[in-house]
Amino acid sequence: MPGTGTGKLVRRIAWQLRLVFLFAVLAVLPYLLSYSQQEIAVLLVINVLLVSSYRLLTLTGEWSLGHVVIMGVGAYASALLAKRLGVSVPVSLLLGGGIAAATAAVLSFPLFRMKGFYFLIGSFAAGEIIRLIWKRFTEPFGGPKGLKRIDAFPDIDIGFLSIDFFEPVNYYFLALVVVSASLFVLYRIERSRIGLTFHAIHWQDRLAESVGIDTFRYRTLAFVIASFFAGIAGGLYAHYVGAVNPTRFGVDQMVYVLVWAIVGGTATFHGPILGVVVLTVINEIVLRALGLDTARPLIYGAILILSVLYLPNGLESLAPRVRERVRRWRSGPAATGEGAG
Amino acid sequence: MSRKSLDRKISRRKFLGTSAASGAALAAMSTGLSRVSFADSHTIKIGFLAPLTGPVAAWGKPGLDGCLIWADWVNSKGGVDIGGQSYNIEFIGYDNEYDAAKARTGATKLIKEDGVKFVMMLGGDTWPGVQEIAAREGMLFSTLLPSDLTPDSTTLLAPCEVHPIYNVTGVEWLAENKPDLKTAAMCAQDDALGKPSVATYLAAFEAAGIEMVDAPLFFDPATTDFAPVMTRLLAANPDILCLDTCYADYVHPLCEQAFQQGYQGQIISCTADFYQNIIEKTSEEFMEGFIFQFPDFDDPALNSEGVNFVNPNEFYAEYAKRYGASAWSAVSWEYASIMDLWADAASSAGSAEPAAVLEAMKADGTGKHAFGTADWWGTELFGIDNALVGNWPVVVIEGGKATIKEFRSIPAWWDQHKDLMIKHMTDLGQMWNQRG
Repeated sequence: MPGTGTGKLVRRIAWQLRLVFLFAVLAVLPYLLSYSQQEIAVLLVINVLLVSSYRLLTLTGEWSLGHVVIMGVGAYASALLAKRLGVSVPVSLLLGGGIAAATAAVLSFPLFRMKGFYFLIGSFAAGEIIRLIWKRFTEPFGGPKGLKRIDAFPDIDIGFLSIDFFEPVNYYFLALVVVSASLFVLYRIERSRIGLTFHAIHWQDRLAESVGIDTFRYRTLAFVIASFFAGIAGGLYAHYVGAVNPTRFGVDQMVYVLVWAIVGGTATFHGPILGVVVLTVINEIVLRALGLDTARPLIYGAILILSVLYLPNGLESLAPRVRERVRRWRSGPAATGEGAG
Repeated sequence: MSRKSLDRKISRRKFLGTSAASGAALAAMSTGLSRVSFADSHTIKIGFLAPLTGPVAAWGKPGLDGCLIWADWVNSKGGVDIGGQSYNIEFIGYDNEYDAAKARTGATKLIKEDGVKFVMMLGGDTWPGVQEIAAREGMLFSTLLPSDLTPDSTTLLAPCEVHPIYNVTGVEWLAENKPDLKTAAMCAQDDALGKPSVATYLAAFEAAGIEMVDAPLFFDPATTDFAPVMTRLLAANPDILCLDTCYADYVHPLCEQAFQQGYQGQIISCTADFYQNIIEKTSEEFMEGFIFQFPDFDDPALNSEGVNFVNPNEFYAEYAKRYGASAWSAVSWEYASIMDLWADAASSAGSAEPAAVLEAMKADGTGKHAFGTADWWGTELFGIDNALVGNWPVVVIEGGKATIKEFRSIPAWWDQHKDLMIKHMTDLGQMWNQRG
């Protein structure tokens, strides 16, 4: 039908325009922020990749408690490669992601013998083993104190152009490029046949197996891809902050990732991103600006409880709900059932 | 559309409008308040960058509370005289949650946006995130954990607490006063705070002729069940139970477990924060003789000549009045005592600029430490003489109350036993040139 083709084209153009608008906002954003808020923006961009990669894993129906540790694997690997072996930081960043993915591939053999709650606990245990290894072996991991003075991203100085990546605004753009590219790949994977298979395994794993899908292989694939991007996020973090230690990748941090995903919602690609952005802005900017530093954990907890109670499908469900209300309001009281009688 | 529904929609609009207006007014108010604060040119801002929430908050929040008392007192007397002009002091706190990245964000905010002249930190895991900013901005920082000191961090000072070196004074006192106690067992959380402290206790025990019944037991910081830890510690029947530098969240359950498992021997620990709560959970008899290193500041011994902390007893009384006596912790006075040192240095320098204050602080190689005049020291252990070391009190719980038994000299112990300290620090990879 010609109408359908035109509709698709309009939707595609609208989508592309929205994307252009989003990138324009992201490009202007750091110049509207204070210096310390630019620092927060850098960490936020990194956390967007972390939570988005986590969502890919949840597509298969498995929720891990080891994702932050996997991010740590990428951070430690990238830091050690740059610091000890002199590998250039951009290369070490990619290798860090690769090592995180390889670690996930190895872990998948014991972990994917479990499902659901057992997988959750198993992933926690695996993560703790990795963290204990970092603590136990001072050489090369630095023990409990971890690694510091990690090589920063090399500055760019070509005469007319000088970029110091210690400056948060510069690192923000670097991280934005890396994270945008990563999100594009993650999005394409989800929209591909592989992504559909992940969904199938989530909702009907027995049925998927009955039609010849190797669920173990696909779960492993999701875990490995998610871990690669978590590793990249870890590398971005390590080369920005300049220090990593086992505590940074502990279960406390993992709880934050879970909260971002739950509050944002995991049904859509943008759900967890919405969660991390909204909660970070509330936690790091709004509550601090209001002088509520010490009350933040309390308020954070309250937000989680309230969102679970009143937005069980996450922030991502808010826009459709608002749209639905607007639609009903426009179509008059008859549609809402009001005014009857 | 019915009238009822129209009213409801209008009221919603009104509500949204009112909310937006309120939000804008609130924002304007907060901006206005900030401007008032910035407009006062006779105020010097000091940064307080420490964990105010989370598991390490016990070593941050009470310190900020103490600083607020210090500022109120100093400001009520006209402020700090710098270059013939009196300046009020205002503390700007930032909760770094004991995280390096948040510490970095906090440091940039304090330095670049709040315009502070000095930043006090707990240090530890958070310092590496700040180190580069400190170097670039030339900002003066203080830490409570001198294991952060390195030769390339020239603007970082440990002017109050030279953790964990002062722990030697407790062991030395114990060996002299209870010479029949000859064996010890020790545990610590496996982290950057626990390990150097273990090395220090090992050196102190060895110097005192006290034998370890077993290797130190390192437990994971995520540990919540301390029954197995204590069972293992007590299995070898030690005369002394050493709790190293455990966080308050560990010291309390460890003491409870020792009590429940029938331990009746000597306990020594770096800290006993909120010890009244431990007594409530165990008994006064059980805690009798507990040795640690941090006095309550209502102790009369702090009024002795040589103690530089200003009005310690009154400070403690005010702290107890504002926050409750049970809120007193090891750090309640420490950051305030660093401020005494800073104010003296700024006054003598005639400037609050970080470089001038640093130079004035270290002018003759000595400084007025809270517990007496002390030396800037540390090259052999930290690679730089940026730690202020002198006397430190040995505190014992007697009749349910912390009591200073004696002030002992850390440098005197060091002169006699430094080889032991360096050996154990090296064995645990804690020397400055072994870190990171």
